[in-house]
Amino acid sequence: MADLSEDTEVKVATDAAQLFVDAFYPTLGNPKTRGNITSFYIKPTLTSPQRPDITLNGNVISDPSEVQKIFETQIPKAHYEVQSFDCHVINPNYNVGLDDAALGPSKDGKKMSIVAMVSGSVKYYKSSEDEEARAEPRGFTETFVLVPNQEAQGPKAAKGLKGWLIQSQNFRLVL
Amino acid sequence: MMQRAAVAPSRGPRGASPSVRGGPRGGIQKRRGAGPARVDKDGDLVMDAGATGGKGRVGRGRIEGGAASKPLGTGRTNSGSSRGGNHGLHRAQAILRGMESKQATVLESRITAVGPTSLRIDGLSSSKAASNPDGGLESLLGFLERKASGLDAKSNRTVKIKKSSMKGDSVIITASPDDIEQIQKLDKFTFAGSVLSVKACDPPSPQAGKSGEKKKQTVSQEAQEAKDRFRAVLAARYDANLKLLNLSALALDTGLRQMGVFDGSTTTSKVFPAMMVVCDGLFKNQQEKRDAIVSVSLADNELADVSAVTTLAQTFPDLKNLDLSRNKFAEIKGLNAWRWKFRHLENLVLTGNPIESQPTLKDELLKRYPNLQVVNGVTLRTAEDVAAAKAAAEVKKSPIPIAGPDFRDVSQVGENFIRQFLPLYDNDRNALLETFYDAHSVYSLSLNLTAPRSHEHSMPIQPWTAYFKHSRNFTKITHLNARMARRYKGSQAIQQVWSTLPASRHPELESNADKYLMECHPLPGLVDPSNQSVRGVDGLIITMHGEFEEQTESATEKSLRSFSRTFILGPGAPGGPQIRVVSDMLTLRPWAPLALPQISSISPETHRTSDPEQQEREAITMQLVEKTGMTPAWNIEQAFITFTANKDKLPADAFIPSVAR
Repeated sequence: MADLSEDTEVKVATDAAQLFVDAFYPTLGNPKTRGNITSFYIKPTLTSPQRPDITLNGNVISDPSEVQKIFETQIPKAHYEVQSFDCHVINPNYNVGLDDAALGPSKDGKKMSIVAMVSGSVKYYKSSEDEEARAEPRGFTETFVLVPNQEAQGPKAAKGLKGWLIQSQNFRLVL
Repeated sequence: MMQRAAVAPSRGPRGASPSVRGGPRGGIQKRRGAGPARVDKDGDLVMDAGATGGKGRVGRGRIEGGAASKPLGTGRTNSGSSRGGNHGLHRAQAILRGMESKQATVLESRITAVGPTSLRIDGLSSSKAASNPDGGLESLLGFLERKASGLDAKSNRTVKIKKSSMKGDSVIITASPDDIEQIQKLDKFTFAGSVLSVKACDPPSPQAGKSGEKKKQTVSQEAQEAKDRFRAVLAARYDANLKLLNLSALALDTGLRQMGVFDGSTTTSKVFPAMMVVCDGLFKNQQEKRDAIVSVSLADNELADVSAVTTLAQTFPDLKNLDLSRNKFAEIKGLNAWRWKFRHLENLVLTGNPIESQPTLKDELLKRYPNLQVVNGVTLRTAEDVAAAKAAAEVKKSPIPIAGPDFRDVSQVGENFIRQFLPLYDNDRNALLETFYDAHSVYSLSLNLTAPRSHEHSMPIQPWTAYFKHSRNFTKITHLNARMARRYKGSQAIQQVWSTLPASRHPELESNADKYLMECHPLPGLVDPSNQSVRGVDGLIITMHGEFEEQTESATEKSLRSFSRTFILGPGAPGGPQIRVVSDMLTLRPWAPLALPQISSISPETHRTSDPEQQEREAITMQLVEKTGMTPAWNIEQAFITFTANKDKLPADAFIPSVAR
């Protein structure tokens, strides 16, 4: 049983976190891309009924579509600045919701679950045109647990799918 | 060049910044970094005194002006009462004397130890170097430094010129008193075919130019004298009862006039910053200053704008009451330098200014100063209004309402962990590692130095030196090697880092529940350390936001840091801790107050007990429940047993329906 080497582990995890952070925040901020918000989360299926666990400012949000709705209806425009982030591997062989056949370890790091913590600032604008509106930057900390995207696994998977999806998200304004 | 090379190794012991040498030299420039800026301020003070040295003595106390000054309330909103004179003279002097005994030596050493002196060098214009593009200044300075350093072979130290400027054909240089002494010995030396004349050119002072030692003393005496006079003026103008510093009608002040600081004009631009420097020196720290002075009056100073007195905001950022009456403010623009200052101002007086008649004035002021309640003696809003306005602004600023913590614990494991973690991290990090960490625990920390800070509350930022080399902030640390090296796996590796980090003091949880926000929820799919379940076991993910005080030996101010910390907890391996930290990720930011949830106030009067201690405990418990979602009673052993007993039996999502709120 070949184990995942430590540097592969760190490399794959940090690359995954980087890709995620680079894609997720612009999607939240830009009114034109809000429709893609749900694509960042795991989707419950019959074989894998797990739902993402989402908490925004202490409010439990039952479904990614709710997150999308909040952003579409209540936040005309936002600008996020990621000022710091870090990540750890939680489990190199994450098997929640997998078939018995797929339980073995992976050498290339594709089965890892990852925890990432982001610290940054966000400006909420009152309207999407209103650049002038003086938006005070607020500080936030956001913690994600990212798990492998099952659909992106295997040789027959479509190209361009996200490698990791949000299993748990916890956002807090800290200033 | 030989000489320079010979001298070079000696830089170390003097502790000077090596980057000073070899930089480009212009006409007028500072020749060292941050140091002299401070000195200049003091230098100004010294020069003021020097210009008037030897004039009459400072009058004790101030007799006139009592009726003209209108005192402000002490921290509350009882303005409008026009009380008369306020010379708590004896008390005030007693207080200042008290402060003097502690502070005088500190202030004195600051003023004297670094007092720069200057020299006038003639002869450059007739030297061959005068045809250089810069008039030969660069090579002259190099020559002086080199020669002066070489003079005393035994002392083996480097002479540095801090500042230089051209004044006609003369070059004026500034250096430390010791260095000046060396450079003075270069009088009559030949530079590029011209004989140099090196003469002292200190502020007019009878003793100037005799020797460095003597001069140092002169400066110190002058500084001391000026400081004493300012202090006498301040003492006469301080009312300890009202905590009021009355700086009204400064131009009429006998003490200041005798010092000659106004120089025939009524401008306060020079004297004011100097007074603020003396003020700052009187207090050990911000807190002491905050406690002693709540109100300041600047009435009757003919101010049309605040540029002359703008340093008031640096010295007294937390003022509650400010009197600007009977000045010449005509437009709100004149107050713009204080647009974002005085975030705690409650009471502002602008009567007797042309600006008074502006209809929009009050609204603009209320907008600028979030805590302002009283303008010109009229209460425009109450403290409750202010609180409500803040709450409303808070809601507007966050489109996603800020709710209380979502703490979905399992058998109080998360809560027990936090209750043990905080005191152990502060007091015994090794014991903490033994209790909760094993060979697979991973720890890292990252610094976010650009995190937004608060207009309302600020705190000086202490250096991050101890943390810097560990910071794993991926926006800065991009190479895999560094990302590997700054990830610490196993309690031994973590112990090595923790032992180098400064000691910390987290606020005590029960009595400071409002300083934390902690959230917790179950997390499936962790590694099973007993290797029984391939599908993994359940654990908890905890995020904690808060602050801690850093324990440093030297700092007089307490230094606060804000942090967020994420833990992933899971069952431990056989033989190890029962509950282990799988992942511990810390991020640090400059301190800023935590954005707290708007909590609906639950009346604590549900039942009464006669025992006040009991009541207090209940109130605290109530607060804790509200703010953290934690349960008030706990039994740690029971919780561990429950958790470990259940961990293998429960399916991944078993917790969620039963505990979700």
